[in-house]
Amino acid sequence: MATAAPREAAVAMRGVTKRFPGIVANDDVSFEVARGEVHALLGENGAGKTTLMNVLTGLYRPDEGEIEVGGRPVELHSPRDAIEAGIGMVHQHFRLVETLTVAENVALADRTAPFLLRGRDAARQVELTAEALHMPVDPGAKVWQLSVGEQQRVEIMKAVRSGSRVLILDEPTAVLTPQEAQALFRTLRVMAAEGHSVVVITHKLHEVMEVADRVTVLRGGRSIATVRTSEVTRNELASLMVGRDVEPERRREPGEIGEVVLEARGLSARGDRGVDALRDVSFSVRAGEVLGVAGVAGNGQRELAEVLTGLRPASAGVVEVDGKRLRDGDPRAAIRAGVAHVPEDRLRTGVAPSLSIASNVVLKSYRGEVSRGPFLLLRRIAARAAELIRRYDVRGAGPHAPARLLSGGNLQKVVLAREFSSRPKALVVAAPTRGLDVGAIETVHGYLRDAAAEGVAVLLISEDLDELLTLADRIVVMYEGAIVGEVDARAASVEEIGLLMAGVA
Amino acid sequence: MNDGIVVVVLAAAVAYGTPLLFAALGELLAERSGVLNLGVEGMMLMGAVIGFLCVQHVGGSAGVALPIAVGAAAVAGGGCALILAFLVVTLRANQIVSGLALTIFAGAAGLSSYIGNDFELADDPARFSFEPLNALGLGDLPVLGPVVFEQTWLVYASWLAVAAVAFYLWRTRPGLNVRAVGESPAAADAMGIDVTRYRYLHTVAGGALAGIGGACFSLALTPQWVDGLTAGAGWIAIALVIFAFWRPDLCLVGAYVFGGLSALPLILQARGVTIAPQLFQALPYVMTILVLVLVSTGTARRRLGAPAALGIPYVREER
Amino acid sequence: MTRPSVRIERRLVQRRWLPVAVPIGSLIVAFLAIAVVLLVTGHAPLPTFRRLFDAAFVADGALTNTLISATPLAFTGLAAAVAFRMRLFNIGAEGQLYFGAIGAAGIALLLAGQSAWLIIPAMIVAGAALGAAWGAIPGVLRAFAHTNEIITSLMLNYVAALVLNYLIFDSLSYWRDTSATGQLFPQGKTLPDAATWPTFTLGSVTVPFGFVVAIVVAAVVWVLYTRTRFGFETQVIGDSPRAARYAGMRTRRKIVAVLCLSGAIAGIGGASQDGDFRHVLDARGLQQANYGYTGIVVAALARYNPFATVLVAFLLGGLENAGYTLQGADFPSGLVGMMQGIILFAMLGGELLVRYRVVIERSGSVGAAEATT
Repeated sequence: MATAAPREAAVAMRGVTKRFPGIVANDDVSFEVARGEVHALLGENGAGKTTLMNVLTGLYRPDEGEIEVGGRPVELHSPRDAIEAGIGMVHQHFRLVETLTVAENVALADRTAPFLLRGRDAARQVELTAEALHMPVDPGAKVWQLSVGEQQRVEIMKAVRSGSRVLILDEPTAVLTPQEAQALFRTLRVMAAEGHSVVVITHKLHEVMEVADRVTVLRGGRSIATVRTSEVTRNELASLMVGRDVEPERRREPGEIGEVVLEARGLSARGDRGVDALRDVSFSVRAGEVLGVAGVAGNGQRELAEVLTGLRPASAGVVEVDGKRLRDGDPRAAIRAGVAHVPEDRLRTGVAPSLSIASNVVLKSYRGEVSRGPFLLLRRIAARAAELIRRYDVRGAGPHAPARLLSGGNLQKVVLAREFSSRPKALVVAAPTRGLDVGAIETVHGYLRDAAAEGVAVLLISEDLDELLTLADRIVVMYEGAIVGEVDARAASVEEIGLLMAGVA
Repeated sequence: MNDGIVVVVLAAAVAYGTPLLFAALGELLAERSGVLNLGVEGMMLMGAVIGFLCVQHVGGSAGVALPIAVGAAAVAGGGCALILAFLVVTLRANQIVSGLALTIFAGAAGLSSYIGNDFELADDPARFSFEPLNALGLGDLPVLGPVVFEQTWLVYASWLAVAAVAFYLWRTRPGLNVRAVGESPAAADAMGIDVTRYRYLHTVAGGALAGIGGACFSLALTPQWVDGLTAGAGWIAIALVIFAFWRPDLCLVGAYVFGGLSALPLILQARGVTIAPQLFQALPYVMTILVLVLVSTGTARRRLGAPAALGIPYVREER
Repeated sequence: MTRPSVRIERRLVQRRWLPVAVPIGSLIVAFLAIAVVLLVTGHAPLPTFRRLFDAAFVADGALTNTLISATPLAFTGLAAAVAFRMRLFNIGAEGQLYFGAIGAAGIALLLAGQSAWLIIPAMIVAGAALGAAWGAIPGVLRAFAHTNEIITSLMLNYVAALVLNYLIFDSLSYWRDTSATGQLFPQGKTLPDAATWPTFTLGSVTVPFGFVVAIVVAAVVWVLYTRTRFGFETQVIGDSPRAARYAGMRTRRKIVAVLCLSGAIAGIGGASQDGDFRHVLDARGLQQANYGYTGIVVAALARYNPFATVLVAFLLGGLENAGYTLQGADFPSGLVGMMQGIILFAMLGGELLVRYRVVIERSGSVGAAEATT
């Protein structure tokens, strides 16, 4: 696909620096994309990829540096400037207006839409675009009714209709099955062949090798290298990405497995959209065992975690801890029964972001030793917090600083510290390493290994297959709210699990 | 038949509902852009007092003074709204407290009273006021005559306003944009829509309409200036927008229902009926609460409910 | 093309002096703005301020009158602060105060002939109870039906006012004076003498019992919110209801409890109106006074801190008192409301500078010139 002849740069960023309070997100970064090329922007979480692209799309103003589009320098003061310069982005967290229809969302992005809107014209536009890109979608559907994959298609359509020649996708396959990801890559290659320039932000090495012509590696806010994918190996890229020689994490050895601690039988539950999100789910987790739950996000995993921890009522079925039935829809009952929960959304659910770290450490335990009667023993709370901060090496802020100042990794450490210190019988963990850099990932995995070694029954819900294959004993796969298969983590292959994730029996 | 109580009440409902309708339309525009404007009462009072001031002091005939007065009322309301917009959009202050502050500043013990006193506006009735017309000569039709064809220009203008707002929101590009801004300012911003500008424009437009609503009192209903003339109509307008599920056409229905309920006790009293008026007077408020409860249940919220970003300031670079 | 652009950025470091300097700065800005308004409308600012200050704090009997104005504001301010700290915007203190007044007057009339030691505590309890009950309505609706408490509490204010009107003007209720004059000019029954709340004399100042009660309430609220489990839970719920649920807290019960507490405090304010000052259920007077809405201003200016609320209530009480005293030909009416409004605007605007800083850029690329306070 890539020709040898030099091509003009569709977009060039030179010497871009962007600072936020306390951190330099981009440090003198230079990056350029040629016309008709698929260019990957690779880096681990926190390396500055999304920030760089937010600068390119006018969402952020750079502190230093220049941007050129088609060889001419431009100043992007706002997203509108970027759109007019022909730069479009499909964000990781979609920027769609949920209560409007697909056609309305696309019309919002369409710069050529007339002053007077006509419903039928808008719908026709959507149908035409969808056909051209081989992505069927219903123009009249409200966005909140669509699946995540369908919403992504709407986002791509918006970018195309806004006239962009440069299309940026931020972690596009996070919400797709392996097969859907393949389809997306085909679409991207078609667009590149037609003269668009495509930038794919990712931290997944295999994607880079599959779809990109060239790749630029970012690390710690700096651009480290730009190479052709045909001239480099995965291991070389991994080393560039992390900055040292990378050894793949060793698989967890099987430990001592005891009695069944956490059991679910016939669990069903309604989701937020009114349809069943969980359908007749049954499984059991034993002490010292790690049961992995695989699946593309949006197939019921979140609802499963919520039902097990009392945050969502079940419409049918039973949860038992140590043989005793757990009261439905009552988080306090789950906590008392010894079920600890590390939630998916650590900043908004796992902690109270504006409260101090000390307050968050006692978020669940404030009724116990740190209070006497109705009164809180403030000094004991501060001491408890200081001890846990030291033991879990939480860095970045003191016990009285608000929790939201912590980085993702340190925040997760606080959550883990709190959950472990309650000596749980079962631990429900959802997407624990999402958005964390390699060092933090290793630390979190270490704590999970320790928990299993100490006899805790661990339920690990994750979209990251590598993580599951490394840590779990068994893996069940969820698809459309039901468990469609179970495999032995030490014997299974990615292909096998991928097929199950896509709903292929 | 046209003297029968039903027709009288209906005609009064339309007349009394008109200030509510203007204010509610204004509030609807502001809320559609994500700004909860609790300063409506103050803006209505400012519109009332400035409109009255104009009509007393501007030379010319009724045909000249009244439109100018209404225009001035709109400017007064819009000006107050500009203060609010500056506070909540640019300075990102808490919308609830800011709105209350504006009502206290401009309201019954504030600026409107100050102006009323300084210009001694309470001393005389209005030189000109809006009189009911006999539109198209159809004033004698049964029922429809008094209710539809014997109203003031302000009433007919309010019908135009309803149609204009509805058309704007659902059939034009900027209307679509503002709906996006109110639901998801982040999405709108990423698509190049200027959130700040839309919020400013719609808040000020809302204030202008509220000002006209206030002028309905001082230039038509009670053509006089009294301190605190609007007596809480602004707050009812806020409730009305919710009652109407943020739709202009339902604002019309709601405004007339509320207008009728507030006119009813007076009419009954004039006919010697002695039911405690408070019962009727309480109905609008109780009904609003009931409607609000209905609208707030889970799925209803999504289908019928408030713009999702209502009341929340938007900052682009929040991390 | 070089366009200067202005950006707002969140501050990472909260400078210590900001939360003190900014309110003071805002006050100064406010007074300057008020001075401008006065000048423009032909009144001399400095003499006006002087007269206000005198009438509020210095003149004979000024402090006593200021305390009379401040007492209800302290109660409604505390009511608002208690709720607002948990992000529950209770606008209903007005109506909750009315119901407190109704309850206290009713109990006082029922217990006529008993000693003050019985009647006065009973009035406080009855006022709190009815205020709490009226506050429970928006509380329950918010907790169990997710209904926005701003609108419900606001609507209930109007209903409460109508109840007051009904009791005094349009019915022959227990509260109404049914004597001959009472039939002609509707008014409430005078409360028994034993229902008159005591006063304390400090030098030349007469301190109403209600004000002392308000201070006690402020202290209790402070302890409750900073030192107890209840306070901790309200903090968490106010910050992140999802985290609170996740932690096993009973969010819905807390919402109702806090709104009941808020209503109870406003209700005691109503009882104080009956017992300290009016000695009758004064439907018209209570409605004209707007204590509930002014209380929200008090709480906002005090940043919802209980002790600061009482202090701000005192200061705003002084302003209100001065406004009444000076009303007349050569003193602009409506000035009090305008001043309150402008002070509040300045404070609200100043808030921004505490949390964010303003960054102005000249050209698009090189560096950023910081423009901070």
